[in-house]
Formats: sequence, C-alpha cells, structure tokens
Amino acid sequence: MLGDFLNPYYLQVASFIMINIILGLSIYVTLSSGQLSLGNAGFMGIGAYTSALLTINYDMPIVVSVIAGAIVAGLVGILIGIPSLRLTGVYLAIATLGFGEVIRVFMINWESLTKGAVGLSGIPQIGRELLKVSRDAGFNPLDIGLKNNQYVYLLVLIILVIINILLIWFLVRQNKSRVGRAFAAIKMDEKAAEAMGVNITYYKVLSFVQGAVISGFAGALFAHVMGYISPADFSYHRAVEILIFAVFGGSEVIWGSIFGATFMTLMPEVLRFISEYRYMIYGAILILMMAFRPQGIIDVPLLQKLQLSKRRGKHGSKN
Amino acid sequence: MRKILNKSFLLFTVLLLVVLTACSNNSETSGKKGDSKESGKAVEAKIGVVSYLTGPGAAYGEAITNGFNLAKKEINAKGDVKIDLVVEDSAGKQEQALSAAQKLMSDDSIVALLGPTLSTEMNVVGPEADLNGIPIMGTSTTAEGIPQIGDYVFRNSLPEALAIPAAVKKAVDKYKVKKVAILYGNDDVFTKSGYDTMKKTAEKMKLDVVTTETFQKGQADYNAQLTKIKGLQPDLILCSALYNEGAVIMDQARKLGIDVPFVGGNGFNSPQVIQIAGQAADGLIVATPWFGDKQDPKVQEFVKKYESEYGKKPDQFAAQAYDALYIMAEALKNAGEADRDALRDSLAEIKDFPGILGKFSFDKDGDVVMDPTVLIIKDGKFQIFE
Repeated sequence: MLGDFLNPYYLQVASFIMINIILGLSIYVTLSSGQLSLGNAGFMGIGAYTSALLTINYDMPIVVSVIAGAIVAGLVGILIGIPSLRLTGVYLAIATLGFGEVIRVFMINWESLTKGAVGLSGIPQIGRELLKVSRDAGFNPLDIGLKNNQYVYLLVLIILVIINILLIWFLVRQNKSRVGRAFAAIKMDEKAAEAMGVNITYYKVLSFVQGAVISGFAGALFAHVMGYISPADFSYHRAVEILIFAVFGGSEVIWGSIFGATFMTLMPEVLRFISEYRYMIYGAILILMMAFRPQGIIDVPLLQKLQLSKRRGKHGSKN
Repeated sequence: MRKILNKSFLLFTVLLLVVLTACSNNSETSGKKGDSKESGKAVEAKIGVVSYLTGPGAAYGEAITNGFNLAKKEINAKGDVKIDLVVEDSAGKQEQALSAAQKLMSDDSIVALLGPTLSTEMNVVGPEADLNGIPIMGTSTTAEGIPQIGDYVFRNSLPEALAIPAAVKKAVDKYKVKKVAILYGNDDVFTKSGYDTMKKTAEKMKLDVVTTETFQKGQADYNAQLTKIKGLQPDLILCSALYNEGAVIMDQARKLGIDVPFVGGNGFNSPQVIQIAGQAADGLIVATPWFGDKQDPKVQEFVKKYESEYGKKPDQFAAQAYDALYIMAEALKNAGEADRDALRDSLAEIKDFPGILGKFSFDKDGDVVMDPTVLIIKDGKFQIFE
C-alpha cells in the first residue's frame, strides 16, 4: 500500500527542506544584484506574524493570508530598501541585520497583538485544515491506506514542491530577462552599469523587495506548517542560517542556494545516530568548506563541467 | 520553459530519493532493536524521548535523560514492565523537535513519547502527537495551556500556575504583604509566562502592584529598575527571571539596600543562585515540586543512587523525569498491553501516585494535581518555608 512507503518523518523533513529552499532563494535574489542583506529573518517574521494573525483573528483562508503576509513583507521591504540601499557591502549587511533585530524587538514588545515572547500558538496548520476539509467532503485518508499524519504531511509536501517549482521557474526565467541581466550588470560593476543606462536604484530596490517578498512568503508558510511561532524563531540565528544556505551551496548560481538549503537541513537529520556530536560535524564541514571552496560548493565552472559531460554522454549514446 | 520544468522536477526527484535512502538505513536499525527483546509475560514497551541534548540548554536535557535512564534501570530490574527508551535530540529548536517526534511516532512499536524539554517545542509537537493518537508527557514544560492541547497530551511538571500562587500566598501570609513590585524578563517565553501568572495572582489576592519593571536576557545592570522599586518601598518583590539573571538582580538589590524577600518562578529555583549571589540570595522564596533534602527515605534513596551513577546531585528536572517514567510504567502495568490508546486511558486514571515528588494525580485535562513545597533560602541553604 501507499501508506507503507510514506514515512511522515521523511515527508516532514522534506517539507522543511522546501521551506528552507525558499529562504535560500530569498537571499540569492538579493545577492544576485550584489547586495548582501541579512534582514531576511526579519521579513520572514513579518510574513509569519501577518499571516498567523490574519488567520487567528479574522478567520481568513490560509491561501489569502499567506499571500497577504508576503505582500506586507514586500511593502516593508520597499520602505526599508529605498533608504538603506544607499549603503553597500558590509554597511548594508549591518543595517539590515539591525532591521531584523528591530522587528524581533517589536514582536516582543507589542504584546497586545503578538503576545510577546510567549508567541502565537494555535495557528491553523495547512495539512490539518485540508484534512478537515477532505473529511467534511466525505473523504477519509484511511480509504487509500494513509494514516492521518502521512496524509497531512504528504499534502503539505506536495503544496510546497509545487510552490518551489514555480518559484525556481520564475527566478530562472528572470535571470535570462532584461531584469536578470541588469542585476548581473550591477553585481559586476555598479558604475559601469549606470553608465550603460541601467537604472541602478530601481533594480537594486527591486531585487531587495523580491528577497523580502520571498522570505515573507517562506515565513508565512513556516507559520502554517509549524502551527506555533515566537519571536525567537526570527532572531539573528535565523538570519545567519539563511546566509549559510546561500554561502555554503554557492551564491553565484540559483542551484547553489537550493543545494545549500537541502544539504544543511538534511545533514543534522541524517547524522541523528551520533546525537551529541552532530553539530560538531556541522561546524567542521563549514570550516572545511570555507578553507577549500570559499565560493560555495556549486559555482559556474562546476555547472559548465556538469553540462559538458552531460552533452558528451548524450552524444556518446547516439553513436 | 519545458527544459526548466524538467530540470527542476529532476532535482526534486533526486532530493526525495536522498531522503528515502536515508530512511531505509534508519528503519533497519530500529527494526533490530525491536527484535532483541522477547521474553516473559511482562508488558514490554518502547517509549520515545525527545530531549534537548545539544546547544545552550543541553544541561536540562542531560539531567532529564539521566533521570529517565535511572528509572528505566530500576523498573526493568523489578520486572513488571520492560521499557526500552529511544532518545532523540531536539537541539532546543521547534523544527528539530517536531522532526524527532515525527520520527519516533512513525515507528509503530513506540507507544508513548516523553518530552520535549521546552514549552515552545511542546506547542509544536503536542498537536501533532494528539492528531496521531500517541500519548505524550512533558516532564519539564511549565507554561500555561500545554495539557489543554489535546486528550493525548499530559505533563508531570509542576506548572507555573500552581507553583507561583503557592509561593506568593505563603509569603503574603507570613510577611503580611500589601504592596508588591514585579520585575520580569520580557524577551523569554519562560519568564514572560511566569510574569503573566504573577500578575494574575497579585490581582486575585488584591495586592497593590506598585510598579512593573522589565529587563532583557543577558542584561548586567539592573540598578535603574531596582532604584525605582526601592523608592516605592514594596513589602515583597515578585521576580520572574532565570537563575543567572535572577542571582545578579538579588545581588544588586541587596547592595542597594533592598532587604525585602523575593518570590521567584520555576526558573529561579536553582542552587546556582546561592553560588552566584552568596549571602545576597537569602530571602528568595520559590515553590518547587522537588526538594532534595526532604526527610523522605524514597527521596534520599534517589539522591544517593543518582549521585553514585552520575557524580552530581539531581535537580528538579532529573527528579521530574524519574517520576515521569515511573508514572508511565504504572500506567502500562494497569493497561496490561503496549497499546497507545489503552495507555492513554490508563494514564488519565493515574491518581495519588506516590513518587519522589509527592502524591501525584492528573486532572481531567492531563494537568498536574499536587501540592508544591515552598522553599526559602536561609543561611545560604534552601530550607522549607513555614
């Protein structure tokens, strides 16, 4: 039966991988125009809290509230982006890091709305809500041999996979468009890009806001997958974690941050059998990576090599 | 576009395959564990433990797992129930706790879960366990509303809502308190929920709250808040803090000349307070389920055994974990079989269970019913407060 193959544990880890890929992409987008933003944890928090509060207080459907969460994060992104993008490099990183902390402190102190440090519990969970809907419609997951949690996480995973495919498709397309070329030009050399007639302010804000929207979206999904959020989830540690996804996997190409997010989420789970020592290995891998491959695991030459060998393989099979 | 779609499909298939291969390895090992125990008519059960073993709060997880292991050894030696523990690490993060719990729950031979360590983790894991119909018992989750998550969620850790009022009441009766000042850490789940309880208690007892002051985790200087409190001359200070900040607060308060007693929450209840604050710690009142110097032979025996096994004195987390496994064993014995639903029903019926923490019962939600012990620090030692 289907039920024997689907271990909810793996479904769930895969769901977290999907959410982390979205977060990895959010930092990739801003990096693709040469901006290092560490505010993604803050935007993620805005998305998560907006979406959670809308569903809890106003009974909004999850689809609407998740999109609203992403939009609000985007709007805040515009407000923050316009002034702070006058800064570059390390200064921008510090300013956005500060922004993330401000958001966290807001969540802690705006107690009437966010319940402070205690956090919001009882957020509708996507899978469980769908389970209710399908039960009302007279469909019981047991009929196809699935247990409740298998069904719930299977649905969550399918939804997240679809979202990821669409998002990656969009970003790959964008890279090949006028916008993507403009981002790349700005990343290479801002002055040269400006001289060539690229409106650098517009494109820089655009990539920053795209990053904000995507991380807000990821945050909203996170809230509805976990069912509980607190300000501690969106602290400085989260910002660094997101950065590691992109840096570890390789920040030059989109596949880098996808690989980084996957690997970094999977590793602690795979290493569960050595329990206490697993985070040591996590650290050791990061150090080794920085020493031997500072540009990240996946970079352009590696991709070209892969593509070449693939083409050769195809060629060979024809002969 | 098709090419890109194809590519991303390929990528996701690869990812999922990786996940699945990881799975086959693990299920093999757990299968072996299940086979290794086949004997007698004792109830055999596998219990999953989710604990905070790596990260800044690893000391809690260590004490808790030590408590479980000690209890397991004794229970298995007795022979009525044979328990096998499967321990997973949560690293103090919700996602990891959920993954760990999910891993344990998907193993059908596991009948119950113990843990996770933090209330924040329980908020995430609880609903999932309830949905899957597996009993889960928190041994260190003290925040409000935990057992109310669902029918399958229990706890044996004394909630703040029981501990703080008990301590406040005794202090108020003894010192004839009318005016209190409240001081709390507002950026931590634990201290914030402790504050909520303090506020409610003060309102209920019609105490006059002269001021409410806040501080942040890791703060080193509390003179601003304390000076204000000193000016208002309260009879008692309610302080919701973890021991490391709390001890510093007491030290600075005594130096400023504030000599009224303090009432603390569960996080304040640690021998570390005396080590850090020394003389200044005198006058701290806490309610606790656990008192290691109690003149009860059961308690003394536990302390001795724990010390010889692990080389240090047990704290309340170890004691609560120890009792929790005994409660599980009792429920399993009553249920007569290792079945999740039967275990839930017999857990709910546990009443006046004689543990090292005292007489223990569950209420209708699966929350704790017991009398906490109120302690005060006097002459550099925790003593029973009368």
